[in-house]
Amino acid sequence: MGVIVLQLFAVPEGKSGPQVIDILTKRVTSLGGVLSGSFMVDCETYTSVASLGATRSVHLLHNSETPASVFALLEAASGNKTVALVADNLFDLLMLKLSNFYQAKKQTKIESRGPRFEAGDFLVKLGSVTMGPAFKGILVEVEYQACSLPAACWDLIREFMQGFLGGCVPSTPPQYIQNRFGDMLGPIDGINQYLEQFNAFRKTTGIR
Amino acid sequence: MASNQNPISAIDMLTSALRSNIIPNQEYLLQGSVIDSSAEVLHNRLRGLCDAAETGPETFHDHEMCFSLKASSPGGTPQQQQSFLLRVRRALDHPEYPWQLRYLGQPELGEKNQPTVLRSCIDIACTPNVVEFLSELGCRIEFEYVLKGYLFRKGRMKVTMSKIFRMGQAKSPDSLEAMTGSYLVELSLLAPSGQDAVADEIKVFAEQLRPLVHLEKIDYRRLQSYS
Repeated sequence: MGVIVLQLFAVPEGKSGPQVIDILTKRVTSLGGVLSGSFMVDCETYTSVASLGATRSVHLLHNSETPASVFALLEAASGNKTVALVADNLFDLLMLKLSNFYQAKKQTKIESRGPRFEAGDFLVKLGSVTMGPAFKGILVEVEYQACSLPAACWDLIREFMQGFLGGCVPSTPPQYIQNRFGDMLGPIDGINQYLEQFNAFRKTTGIR
Repeated sequence: MASNQNPISAIDMLTSALRSNIIPNQEYLLQGSVIDSSAEVLHNRLRGLCDAAETGPETFHDHEMCFSLKASSPGGTPQQQQSFLLRVRRALDHPEYPWQLRYLGQPELGEKNQPTVLRSCIDIACTPNVVEFLSELGCRIEFEYVLKGYLFRKGRMKVTMSKIFRMGQAKSPDSLEAMTGSYLVELSLLAPSGQDAVADEIKVFAEQLRPLVHLEKIDYRRLQSYS
């Protein structure tokens, strides 16, 4: 349990995704980060069939950091509410059984995958976001594991992030974190941010 | 916490688990009932036959809700609606336990020599907002009830002796009225499909409970024709 912040890192002109990951890897390791495996967060979206009435979407996300859990985020028909259910891995099997009611669009499956670093109380994950074969951008995840309250540690997180990401890190926290500045955050908050970012990636053609 | 060197996607893990047939998604089931006046004798027999005889059986007090998801087939009559049933169960005596979401397929009675009812079954632990989730998914609550009873285990088999209570008008778990003057007895085992040898294990155990209770395959279609 900790505060998770996602940061989009724009790919500079003339550089490829793997080159940017290399550059960021060097910066993180010079800050004391130790490579400890790799991570993956993926998202598959299921949409309700017409005979069920108003369209609803279920986003199924998996995070290698919580391998025994499945996060099911349901966008309500009215559009202004998302219900986040956390369940066992077998929930995937249930969604497959619901294929007569909710169907997956294969081409919208999106994932962020890459190396994972431990730097003291920080976890840094450098993700290359891909949708099928297409590379969409770089998404960096930073988790400060020692604290679950953004109000108590945002400044520390920002300083750490600016140390290897530079000026692209704003001085104000992302809107999602601002709305929950005084609340205790957990894995579901990281997942909600991933969904926001993945939806933005899906709407962009080319690299974000 | 160290992560995998190369994480496999959850869908790939599930597909490989399904192919290796290691997911326990089949329920082998026998059911019966015993009237209240004879329940204690059965309870003692089960205590003797099952595991953990010294500590005694676990009690449970659960609230179960049955939801259905219906979609009308295009141009079809209401009878042609596809229906998908899901059950949500929570422990009233342990509010901190995860809630259970359960999918049950159509029960198959099979041939006369098939010892137990067979139905596909997926049990999923989840967070308490599952009712809100299912409502937004398009499910409607069909019925609900409270079950109070005892849970025994024998190896991989599970035996429950429980009383069913109707939810009172106040819809609170405290206002309960018993639906019958008997206990429902269920003997079940969850295993991956194709392990039919376990059905014989269940049949042998069921024989040991006769004549206190007759556990048998219940044909739900015949029950529906009575109502």
